[in-house]
Amino acid sequence: MTKRNNAAKRPQIKKAASPQAKVATVTIKKIPTGVRGLDEILGGGIPEFSFNIIAGPPGCGKTTLAHQIVFANATVRKPAIYFTVLGEPAMKMLRHQQQYSFFDGSKLGKAIRFINLSDVVLGKSLDKVLEAIIQEVTTTNPGIVVVDSFRTVIRKAVADTSELEMQTFIQRLAQFLSSWEATSFLVGEYAPDEMRDNPLFTIVDGLFWLSQLTERNSVVRKLQIFKLRGQASVPGLHTFHIRGSGLQAFSRTLGLDSKKIDPLGEGRRLSIGTPELDKMMNGGIREGDSLLIAGPSGTGKSVLATQFIAAGLSKKEPAVMALFEERPLGYTDRADSLGLKLKAAQKKGLLETLYLRPLDLSVDQITQEILDAVERVGAKRLVIDSLVGFEMALAPGFREDFRESLYRMIVALTGAGVTILTTVEVEDTFTALQFSHYTVSFLTDDIIRLRYVEIDGQLRKVVVVIKMRGGNHSKDIREYVITGKGVVLIHPRRTDYHGLITGVPKRTGPRLLQEEEIAPEPKATKATKATK
Amino acid sequence: MRVWSQRLIAHEAGKDHSSEVNDPAAFLAFEKLYPHLASLMGKVGVNALVSRALALANAEVPSLRAVRVNAEGALERLTELEAQFDHSAVAEGRLVLLARILDLLVVFIGEHLTERIVGDVWPQFPPNKRKSTKGGKR
Repeated sequence: MTKRNNAAKRPQIKKAASPQAKVATVTIKKIPTGVRGLDEILGGGIPEFSFNIIAGPPGCGKTTLAHQIVFANATVRKPAIYFTVLGEPAMKMLRHQQQYSFFDGSKLGKAIRFINLSDVVLGKSLDKVLEAIIQEVTTTNPGIVVVDSFRTVIRKAVADTSELEMQTFIQRLAQFLSSWEATSFLVGEYAPDEMRDNPLFTIVDGLFWLSQLTERNSVVRKLQIFKLRGQASVPGLHTFHIRGSGLQAFSRTLGLDSKKIDPLGEGRRLSIGTPELDKMMNGGIREGDSLLIAGPSGTGKSVLATQFIAAGLSKKEPAVMALFEERPLGYTDRADSLGLKLKAAQKKGLLETLYLRPLDLSVDQITQEILDAVERVGAKRLVIDSLVGFEMALAPGFREDFRESLYRMIVALTGAGVTILTTVEVEDTFTALQFSHYTVSFLTDDIIRLRYVEIDGQLRKVVVVIKMRGGNHSKDIREYVITGKGVVLIHPRRTDYHGLITGVPKRTGPRLLQEEEIAPEPKATKATKATK
Repeated sequence: MRVWSQRLIAHEAGKDHSSEVNDPAAFLAFEKLYPHLASLMGKVGVNALVSRALALANAEVPSLRAVRVNAEGALERLTELEAQFDHSAVAEGRLVLLARILDLLVVFIGEHLTERIVGDVWPQFPPNKRKSTKGGKR
């Protein structure tokens, strides 16, 4: 063995044998919150035995969050005590909270005990309040303790005691609860500017701040973990909503940790459902790519999207369609009129359509809904129709961050191995060929542009593949029609016109012999029949 | 709810042999329920609940007008009640008052949670008899 080898080995042995390093590391167990998405934001859950505060203005979901944590963790062996103090009366709390699906009435009594401290707080000193808490905790030996609302305890105390006494009370309470191996939560109504001077915020290990912001006519709920001793949480503001199942949180980094995977490792091509267009795309869309179809109203973006889904379904590839404009029934009716049997696929569970138009959603909520649907059906293909409708479904505050949010969503979805087709409506101008209003083309791997052109006194449609990341593609500008079979390319590239992409091309060669198109177009005839 | 209350009172009387089922002064069932309710909703909360129950019960059993609810939610002036009315009237008052308290609990927190509270107070009370009887006279 050479000297050099020995030198290289020595530090490794020392490091591995260091007993101090092992002793210093205490594993902090993390308890689940019972709130979907929140454990990820917290870095795995709530540190066991921590002393936390759940703060925020009235109506933002503090009590519901506390209940969710309690119901997720309380057992007969390790019960929870929920102290109520001059806030929402216990009867009303129970009345309201049992509306949530997480509420399990069978846990009340033995696993979860509600104890009202109002009489003690009203009639006695802080010492007596602490005594009452100590008595209950020592008797029950709980794993979780909640005081709701702690603000009312302090408010009463401020009037009757000195600041020092109040600090001593908080300190003793924190030490007692942690020593009794309880993870505790103080629930209180606080304003952000109170954080600076209030010693409570210094003492607590975890600070969960909930808020709800009114933006124009919509309300957006946000959550921030201001601090969490002992582990790294995801910084920043995260959105959450409250539904029948309680709170659901959406990390602002949702999807960013996804690594894009090549499902088969060799770039399999997926048919878009139009053979000529597949040829233009060098065999179709590369699996796992994100394709943007841009074009003005009526150019067949949704028809192409439907064909893309139907092509997958014909090979038993499950799919999800996230619709933001057209209602699912109208969509599937039109597909059926084109012979693309989406309804049958829906019945078989191969296709799920999501109709998302609540006007106050966050991109994270939409991403989560789509990811859930993708997981439910095991989708290989996804359609988002359209970006304009998507933006409209968002609360106004989220529209400002639309690009950034969209980026995260695409990363999350393609990371899940799904091939995405997104449509976007753009106006045809006669001076430029824009791809979308959002400058989101950097998000997509491939771009197809549809547009109207004036040819021989008719408003016709042309398609061009603008970009295909990681692959060659046809540069042809091809004319197409929408027939009873969907989008059909009808000519080789046109060489008899110049300036097709301007929309008002100039003839440069002899007129092509072409069968006159009879109005209405076959698609319109079919659609009329279908609605009759 | 009346049947449920009757069962509870009978169960309570049967368990405590020093009391008779028709002992008008007992109000044993309520007394046993009281600390559980006070722990859950505070004495102020019990006062509000029992006052409302008493007001409802008064409409059915006039003899209960002699009874008062103190600030802590406990019943007072039961001695006057016994002095003024015969045993059967007092027993009826006791029964109706308990029924109205249970009624209110069901209205606010639902049948399931009310049954759980009753189960906590009287763990020996047979579960099949804990069920409230829907319909009939309230």
